[in-house]
Order: sequence, then C-alpha cells, then structure tokens
Amino acid sequence: MTGSYDAALHLLDRQVVDSDGRLVCKVDDVELTVGADGSLVPTALLVGLPALLPRFGRHLGDVLTRTHAQTFEAQAGRAVPDVIEIDLVEEITSEVHLSVPRKGLLQPRAEGEAAPERIRLGDLLGLPVAADTGTGLHRRSRVLDVRVVPVPDGRRTVVDALVVGPGRPGALLGYDRRSEPGPWLVADLVRWLHRHARVVALGPGVEIDVPRGEVRISERASVAPLLG
Amino acid sequence: MKRYLNVLLGVLTAIGGFVDIGDLVTNAQVGARFGLSLVWVVVLGVVGICVFAEMSGRIAAVSGRATFDLVRERLGPRMGFLNLVGSMLVTLLTFIAEIGGVALALQLVSSVNHVLLVPFVAAAVWIVLWRAKFSAIENVLGLLGLTLIGFAVALWQLGPDWGELASTLSPAEKPAAESWATYAFFGVALFGAAMTPYEVFFFSSGGVEERWTRKDIGVMRANVFIGFPLGGLLSVAIAGCATVVLMPQGIAVETLGQVGLPVAVALGKVGLAVVVLGFFAATFGAACETGLSTGYSLAQYFGFQWGKYVRPRDAAGFHVILLVMTVLAAGVLLTGVDPIMVTEISVVFSAVALPLTYFPILVVANDPDYLGEHCNGRFANLLGVGYLMVITVAAVAAIPLIVVTSMGQG
Repeated sequence: MTGSYDAALHLLDRQVVDSDGRLVCKVDDVELTVGADGSLVPTALLVGLPALLPRFGRHLGDVLTRTHAQTFEAQAGRAVPDVIEIDLVEEITSEVHLSVPRKGLLQPRAEGEAAPERIRLGDLLGLPVAADTGTGLHRRSRVLDVRVVPVPDGRRTVVDALVVGPGRPGALLGYDRRSEPGPWLVADLVRWLHRHARVVALGPGVEIDVPRGEVRISERASVAPLLG
Repeated sequence: MKRYLNVLLGVLTAIGGFVDIGDLVTNAQVGARFGLSLVWVVVLGVVGICVFAEMSGRIAAVSGRATFDLVRERLGPRMGFLNLVGSMLVTLLTFIAEIGGVALALQLVSSVNHVLLVPFVAAAVWIVLWRAKFSAIENVLGLLGLTLIGFAVALWQLGPDWGELASTLSPAEKPAAESWATYAFFGVALFGAAMTPYEVFFFSSGGVEERWTRKDIGVMRANVFIGFPLGGLLSVAIAGCATVVLMPQGIAVETLGQVGLPVAVALGKVGLAVVVLGFFAATFGAACETGLSTGYSLAQYFGFQWGKYVRPRDAAGFHVILLVMTVLAAGVLLTGVDPIMVTEISVVFSAVALPLTYFPILVVANDPDYLGEHCNGRFANLLGVGYLMVITVAAVAAIPLIVVTSMGQG
C-alpha cells in the first residue's frame, strides 16, 4: 500500500475486491490501533453490520446495533465485526484491492474486539475537539477525517494528522481537500462551509481520548490549512 | 467495420430500450389531455437523462464504479441508506408496473385477464434474469422494442396538419379545461418518467457488466447522445398520436389498449400487432432492467458480489434478491391492482427520488481520483448543476402536486 490518503474520504465505504477481481464487501469501518509510542496505526478493515450500523449516528446507531445483536440471541459474537488485516490490502484506488482470494476470508478476531488499544475510525470521526484559543481552530470543531501516510521504513502506514473543522455537511464530497474546479457552485459552497477546517498533525499537543469522547488540542500542536 | 456495427447495435438497442411502461402510459395520457403542450418537458427530461447517463457511464468505464457505489461513498452510510430505501421502493414500483405492462400487452393479444398471466410473466422474467446473458437481454429486447417506431409511422399516416400541430407545442396551448396544477402534475410525471433513477443504475452497472474501459467511452457516448434522443422522439410520437386521435374524441387513457388505439386507427390490425409486440418488448426489457437494478443497488450498497458477468453461484446473494423481488412484484400484481395506476404512482415518486441519486454522480464526475483526465468539462458541469436545480424543484413539488390534484384527477 503506497501513498497517503484521507481515511474517511478515500477508504471508508469503498468496495473491497479480492485477488481474482471478485467483489468481497465494503469497508464498513477501519480499525486503528494505538501503539506503545502513542502512534495510531490502521490495522484492519472492519466488515459487516456490527461495523456499519454504529456509523448511522450516535442514537440511531446504538439502537440499530443493539437490535441487530438481539435479533438472533443464540449466536455468539453478533456485535463483533469481521476483520480483514490491513497487510492483505495491496492497493487503494477507487476500490480496495486485496492480495488474497475471498473464500473464507471474513472472520472476527478470535479474541473478540475488546482491547483498549483498538479504536474504530467511525468512533473517532465526529468527536468534538476541545481546542485552546491560541490554536485558531473553530470552537465547534470536530474530527472530520484522519490523514494516513506510509512509514518510510516499509509497508506500514500510520495516522499522521487529523482533519478537524465544524461538522458541516459535505466533508465526504472532497472539495475541501482539493482545488480542482468541480461544478463551481457546489464546490465553492462546500469550500465555504469548510473554510474553518484545518489539518492538525498528531504529536505534541494533540490528545485523543475516545473513552471520554473528545480530542484535546493545545497551542503546541501544529495546525495547517486544509487546502494547498 | 465490426466497431461501426457495434455502435449501430448499441444505438438501436438504446432507442428500443429507452421507452418503458412509464413513458408509454404517461405520454399517451398527456397527449390525450394536454395535446403537445407538455412536449417541452419530454425534451427537458431526455436531455437530462443524457447528461447524467453520460456521466455515470464515463465513471463506470474509467473507474469501474457503478452508481450506487458512489451514492454510499459520497453520501455516507446513513444518507446512502435513505437513498437506498427510496430508490428501492421506486424501482420496485416500476418493476411491478413493467411486469404488469407485459401482462397487459399479452392480454391485448390473448384476451386472457392480465392477472392470470402475471405468474407466467413473472416466471419468464426471472428465468431470463437467471439464465440469459446480459448482452442477449439487452440486444434482443432492445431491437424488438424498435417496433414502437410504429407510433411514428402512424403519426405520419394520420397526416395531421403539421403546422397546426407544431403550433400546439407552446405551454400557452394548455387546454382551458385543465388547471395549471394538473398541468404541473403531469409535467413532473413526464419528467420523472424520462429521468427514472433506475436508468442510471442500470446504465452504469451495465457498463461494469460489459467490462467497459476508457476505449469504450466513445461508443457509450454515441449510445447516449444518439440513442436516447431518438428514443425520446418515440415518446413524442406516442403523445402526438394521442393528440391527433384521442384528444378530439375526449378519450382519456386508462388502459394499454387505448395507448395503441391511434395506431389501429392509422395502420389497422397489422400496425397494431407491430406496436403490441413493441409494448411487450419494451415492458419486458424494462422489467429485466428494473429487476436487475433492485439487485444492483442493494448489492452495491452492501458490497457483495453482483452482476451477470459472473456465474449465478458466484453472485448467489444477488440472484436471491432478484428472485425475491420478482415474487414480491408478482404478489402485488396478483392482488388485482391496476398496473396503469402503479405506473402513474411510480413515475411521480421517481421525481421525488431523483436528487439523491444524481447529486453524487455529478460530484464524482468531477473527481480526478476516480476519473483522472476524463473529469467533467465546463459544459457538462453547467448542464449538471442546472439540472440538479430543476430536479430539486420537481422533487419538492411532486408530493404537494399529488395532494392538490388528487393524482391528476382535478
């Protein structure tokens, strides 16, 4: 897997295709693992309704996830999504290419999902940002996306920055990320809505606290405009 | 030479496949009640479907992404699901109407009540969806659908005063007995019939089925820009026939037989037989397209294998959906509901579902990540944004108009 990408814009909800060109599933969510050094690494694609339903919004998502788990009580692990290890991902284009055939591929983690170091991209997206005034971030900023870059030492990738801005519609359209003309009316409207969006590099001054449901950004963080 | 034959075949099937039960019924109804004063809406709708079908076809050719992939990628899972529910309902309604239309066409030939024919028609549709090759469905039914040219021949044979007929093209020629609200209602219905969302689902998924690549963009454009407008001309010919024959007699179109009546008047039994064959082919073809579209959109939202380019066992979920949908459609028709009424409802609700489908297509058609150098030009964007506004107005107006005019009765 090469090149940097924005996970929500370029990876989430894309079609997964196996090594024979057969359709496998959608990227319903992405598993991120917090490393010992605090780095955030995409480790797997999460697949299935247990991964998809929570993304329907805080309240609706909870209700749907619970209902789905209860509909077939006798089955264990109804709430645990299947995983595709990120190492199996060969290339991300307008689809996600795997290096293996699809047969028998989708399985939940043997140990279940419960591990404190694993978080879902879907849970991270939309988290409110508590930012110091000195950062210049909009006071109603939320996490809109995460920027993933390859690590120089090999095939691994790591989350390098967060895209934060007021949670307004249109972030998935991509106009805030690129300056191509688009249909000018739509593109300009989306860019205007997202004029407060910024890229915040992960590192000193940025603290992601998923259990408490917020991201704290202090003045030490490096904040850059999104476009250009 | 083979390339030109391919282009010709594509254009011909695009013409024959353009008209479906919605176009047949709505155009005849409108012709009989409003003359040609709503033809401008057909022109507007046909240009619109060309604009968006070309974009969706281009996206399919370059990136291999069909329309519902884009819907979920660009609207997110929640809005995408809302769109899925809406589009599935409209497409299923259309599927029901098309199967009913096939049964009605067979009733015209056999005089057997259409409800009795429904199970056989549904079984035939399912077998074709299961066994037949994609290109065979498209080519055979598309070419047979060309017999609807009978309407154009009939209009010519009826020999109306062309100058007078042309003078009724203006909206100002709305018959005084009809209110502007009903005029607007049928305007929205015609627009919905011309731009039904399943057409782009089917067109783009068909592109993926046929393994289009960048090289096929030219052929695809020929199909769209020549085939669709000529198909639209057939729609206008249907409205024209109704205007010349039915309107002066005050006949309102309530059955498929009445749609074909002007052809019987102009060309006699043989002409009628030819267009009834056209009814059969057009509705059967559209039944296959809408049936496949329900499977395409569900599978593309959830990501499992779809398509007739793989063996049925490799896309088992997709084929199960086709079977369930066909049984469901047959079940609804067996209640004895009038397929013409289902058609009227489906075209109006099509208009409601349009914006959520066409907006993501317009956005992705501008995205170099998907299209590279084949992104929209200025002209396509100008048309795309313009149409998005028209579509939104039609979608917002549709439901109030249904209420105000009691489905066009008032």
